[in-house]
Amino acid sequence: MALIQARAATDPTLETEVVTYREALFRAMRDALARDPRVIIFGQGVDDHKGTFGSTLGLAQEFGAARVFDTPLAEEGMTGIAIGAALNGLYPIQTHIRSDFVLLAMNQIVNLAAKYKYMFGGRFEVPMLIRMVIGRSWGQGAQHSQSFQSLFAHVPGLTVIMPASAQSILECYPYVIGRHRGPVLAIEHRLMYDLKFRMDEVAEKANGSPLTSRKVRAGNDVTIVATSIMVLEAQRAAEHLARVGGIQCEIIDLNCVSHPDRSLIVESVGRTGKLLVADTSWQAYGVCAEICRIVCEHSPSALKAPVVTLGMQPAPCPTAKSLEDRYYPNLRDLTDAVATLVTGTDHHGIPLPDEHSMADVYKRFKGPF
Amino acid sequence: MKFPGIYEELFYKALRIRLVEERIIELYPSDKIQSPVHLSIGQEAVAVGACQSLKQTDLLFCSYRSHAFYLAKGGHLREMFAELYGKATGCGHGKAGSMHLAAPEVGLMGSSAVVASTIPHAVGAALAAERLKKPQVIVAVFGDGATEEGAYHESLNFAALHKLPIVLLCENNGLAVHSKLEARQAYRITDQAKSYGLPVAYLADGHDVVKVHEVFSGIVGEVRRSRCPHFVEIRTCRYKEHVGPDEDSHAGYRSVEELQAWKSKDPLILNQELVAQYRPVILQEIDDAVEFAERSPWPERSELLSDVV
Ligand SMILES: Cc1ncc(C[n+]2csc(CCOP(=O)(O)OP(=O)(O)O)c2C)c(N)n1
Ligand SMILES: [Mg+2]
Repeated sequence: MALIQARAATDPTLETEVVTYREALFRAMRDALARDPRVIIFGQGVDDHKGTFGSTLGLAQEFGAARVFDTPLAEEGMTGIAIGAALNGLYPIQTHIRSDFVLLAMNQIVNLAAKYKYMFGGRFEVPMLIRMVIGRSWGQGAQHSQSFQSLFAHVPGLTVIMPASAQSILECYPYVIGRHRGPVLAIEHRLMYDLKFRMDEVAEKANGSPLTSRKVRAGNDVTIVATSIMVLEAQRAAEHLARVGGIQCEIIDLNCVSHPDRSLIVESVGRTGKLLVADTSWQAYGVCAEICRIVCEHSPSALKAPVVTLGMQPAPCPTAKSLEDRYYPNLRDLTDAVATLVTGTDHHGIPLPDEHSMADVYKRFKGPF
Repeated sequence: MKFPGIYEELFYKALRIRLVEERIIELYPSDKIQSPVHLSIGQEAVAVGACQSLKQTDLLFCSYRSHAFYLAKGGHLREMFAELYGKATGCGHGKAGSMHLAAPEVGLMGSSAVVASTIPHAVGAALAAERLKKPQVIVAVFGDGATEEGAYHESLNFAALHKLPIVLLCENNGLAVHSKLEARQAYRITDQAKSYGLPVAYLADGHDVVKVHEVFSGIVGEVRRSRCPHFVEIRTCRYKEHVGPDEDSHAGYRSVEELQAWKSKDPLILNQELVAQYRPVILQEIDDAVEFAERSPWPERSELLSDVV
């Protein structure tokens, strides 16, 4: 949008180039440091030779240890320190290599950051960004794989984004850091870091903020609302179904989980009459439930079939690959669910992709999307 | 197995752990172990020396770097390999992987991938031992990085305040992932523990399994008798990368000289005579365990949703 177009104007290659998720994150971090001397980045390992999976690599050398620095293992304290720093004029970016560790900082995020503005009658602002990464595959297990968007988005005062493309990162992060005045949690997906994305859909938004949902595919047969890597899975399923079944899926990337574009969702479901929600987390009390709430509250009669939801199995994540592959919905499950929903029968006869392990695919497949 | 003396026995146990982890390194490229592994190579003497004076009924809680403690505490090797393979016969039925080994039958009460998260569990177990008058000693094992977490301080305070029968064992390898201790801590670990009123011991020679055993048996004896908490910090050295099977001393974040200095004192490297003597029988046991893992079944589909609630 405005920002990306401004960038595109000065960098004509940007709109058509292919950018990895990691590269987009790195650019967003580097640009933020370069643009505003008040920006600091801290987190465990931000300055080491791995550099937060490459997204902060070399930035401590380039911008100095006063601006990019490692921290003790002290998640709650460091988040409180970020809040204090924000209150006194810095723009802190805190990183976590797994979202699971953010639970230790929940008190500062929920009781303090989310409320600092409201609780004092609007006299304070805590502009800050907390980045965290969802782990998946290779035996990440119960404590390195969780996806907490709905826990955060449940709390008024927090803005939660889940970028599903390099495009989203390069539109949202500069906006968050440069213009947004409140605490933002960005939930990134580890399996997407190596994927390449085409920078080619610059959609106009009326209010100018990228912190909302985005339509990434148009279609009239079914509405798929998805988050994070499930947006990519939905796109793959949609392409398959268009090719072999003549089914046209509309896909909405929720993108800003805390502030979805309700009218985009309601309008789409009004047209297709069918809704499938695919999230990276558990279905109960989560994004799946919330999207159903939006539709039920705004347009209950639009639905011509029961809603279908896909997410993680209702259990902690097992480590054994044989179990883990069943724990997450795969391309076959998703495609089958869409085909069943659209045709109204599970004897739909549409050939399904023979793919059972998304993790295997993402290891080989690098895009571009 | 009979040993001529305590040195040989401890040496054997430490060598067994090293050879197990070296087998993991060998197997890793085959992708049969689809789990992140935090190897203890270089740190075996701490686990072996510490567990030598513990009884099976004494309870131990540790971190994701748990292979050494799992074995030293008496966990079954077959079930460990099966767990690494993600098999139904693993100690966690394929749901644990390397990071969550447990063997309650021998008092290994769990290992967690969230830093410092099991320290309060150990304190709670010590509270139960005290209230229920169980003659146990409880051990909390954690790294130097864990001492930076809030839960660590909250746990030390409570253990000291309530005089609980616990040994707080800090395995200080000077690193948290790639961060040196000096970049993270403004305090000294033992001084800090002392400020809670805990009796404190420090051992610089974490490679010396006999010394670790001597220090630890003294402390365990003291806790058994007095039912009061003790703190011990043991310096040690991680030879491999933080997670994974490789060496990464070339990456520039750690001192290669220091690593070499540790290796030059390591009995498992120096005493090749004893290595040669014990290696065959250990390798036989490892072969058997790996074969057990290989031929074990995958977990049933129904396992996915069992044991949830
Ligand atoms: C609460 C939490 N924060 C961060 C991490 C990521 N992490 C995993 S291991 C580790 C280093 C821990 O260092 P230390 O306690 O010294 O143990 P060591 O790995 O050296 O055995 C970190 C930061 C985590 N697992 N949990
Ligand atoms: Mg350490």
